[in-house]
Amino acid sequence: MSSRPLRKLSLVAAVGLSCALPALSQQVQFPAPQFAPPNLTPRGVAGLAMNCAICHGPGGRPVAGSGIPALAGRPEREVVEAMRQFKEGSRAGTLMSQIAKGYSDEEIVAMARHFSALGAKAPR
Amino acid sequence: MRRRDFLKAGGALLAAAPSGCAAPSPPSVREKAHVVVVGGGYAGATAARHLRILDPSIGVTLVEVEGAFEACPVSNQVLGGFRSPVDAARPYTALERRHGVRVVHDRVVAVDAQRRVVKLERGDAIPFDRAIVAGGIDFMFEDMPAMARPDVASRVFHAFKGAAQTAGLRRQLEQMRDGGVFAIAIPEAPYRCPPAPYERACQVAAYFQAAKPRSKILVLDANGDLTSMGGLFRKAWSELYGGMIEYRPNSKAVDVDVGAGMIKLELEDVKADVMNVIPPMKAADVANPFITVNHRWCEVDWLTYESKAAPGVHVLGDSIQIAPVMPKSASMANAQAKVCAQAIVALLAGEAPNPAPTLLNACYSMVSPKLAIHVASVHKYDPKERTMRAVPGAGGLSPAMNEAEARYAANWVLETWADALE
Repeated sequence: MSSRPLRKLSLVAAVGLSCALPALSQQVQFPAPQFAPPNLTPRGVAGLAMNCAICHGPGGRPVAGSGIPALAGRPEREVVEAMRQFKEGSRAGTLMSQIAKGYSDEEIVAMARHFSALGAKAPR
Repeated sequence: MRRRDFLKAGGALLAAAPSGCAAPSPPSVREKAHVVVVGGGYAGATAARHLRILDPSIGVTLVEVEGAFEACPVSNQVLGGFRSPVDAARPYTALERRHGVRVVHDRVVAVDAQRRVVKLERGDAIPFDRAIVAGGIDFMFEDMPAMARPDVASRVFHAFKGAAQTAGLRRQLEQMRDGGVFAIAIPEAPYRCPPAPYERACQVAAYFQAAKPRSKILVLDANGDLTSMGGLFRKAWSELYGGMIEYRPNSKAVDVDVGAGMIKLELEDVKADVMNVIPPMKAADVANPFITVNHRWCEVDWLTYESKAAPGVHVLGDSIQIAPVMPKSASMANAQAKVCAQAIVALLAGEAPNPAPTLLNACYSMVSPKLAIHVASVHKYDPKERTMRAVPGAGGLSPAMNEAEARYAANWVLETWADALE
């Protein structure tokens, strides 16, 4: 019943908290993010690589008939080069050119190495 | 009633199946720990599958009331008549047989965090070491009481949860006269899948164009503007559907009059032949004990997805109090589920969870039977703010609607299913 005023209150609280540091003029802005250093342990890299599944298939192996390239078993250098081009914008893409910008060069190399080590024919 | 009878019959069949036929095995006494997952959608089923892959010594029970995985992201295409309901559902069999997840089709009555037990409507209670609550959303009918009344509920569909709702609305659209008005009432954000109502307008417009071209679509939005991909949707509406779709911002539905065929807004009433009213949403009722924000959403620790209200209980997907600019999407639920599965494996081994999780979001919307658009983002952990933040400069929108992304969207449905079920 009284959820609406509550909702507004907590929004104000959330904005207030996150803006404790920056200038008043930036009241609706959040401070610039300070991300945790990338986790390049095998488990950390596996975690990064899991995100690719929604388009490239679980384990980097797409469903039969998919027009999206496989990642599993691809040479490391090939994937790193493609991602570099997507990231700097020299290669056209729909999503990849936007998503590649979300990863550091070290993360890209680690993910490429991870996928190249997976057999192309292992189960998905 | 009918669904329950069907499920009962299904359960009886399963129980009667010969043991050689890979019936689900009971939880092993040897397992290291047992995780009960409540809800078998993009969050729950994905978490269950990945838990078993990451550590087969962890026993996993998945409780899901429906007999099959219903892909909500396909439902708008079902409404348009461009995909069949059969295309939108997939069974849980591989999850059981290949991955050894025990799948129980039942309704969860309570997740008791203190006694560490999940209570079921029909079956015996299931004890857990850790529980994952991934029930999606339920509706705040107290904000729109008419939608809870049986006479209204059987005639006005939200079509935002469950295949029966989608089928009901599709039937009404098929029966509507040419020249009729179809109205979609969108609640204030946050709600699940921000672009979905706008995609729905596109899919129904494509259907009307072919089958009843004199009809009209009214998009009544409680928000001040489209909440997702506004420019791309407006362009699709004007270029593909002429003047068929009318958009009205700041038009919040507060009540429904079925007899008069009217949606009541704050300041006026709107007449429609088919009314699609989407009430405001909250975390699934099954997650009620873990709601910490505005009586609506559940806060979690972003490294583990453990509830801030109850240790040992993890909350995933649409029930979560979102981080800044994080959508309540199937894509996000899939990504969260994998971080959570990795974290639970670590926690059960007495190790620290990944201190730097990354979530990827990729949402496609079909603006016609053959054209799609997307919104994408990458989210990483900010340890100082203890939240997930979008990576500046990464992600974005389609430059324009295109055919390639319609194929990618169809692939996305198959791959997220595979990531959850196969």
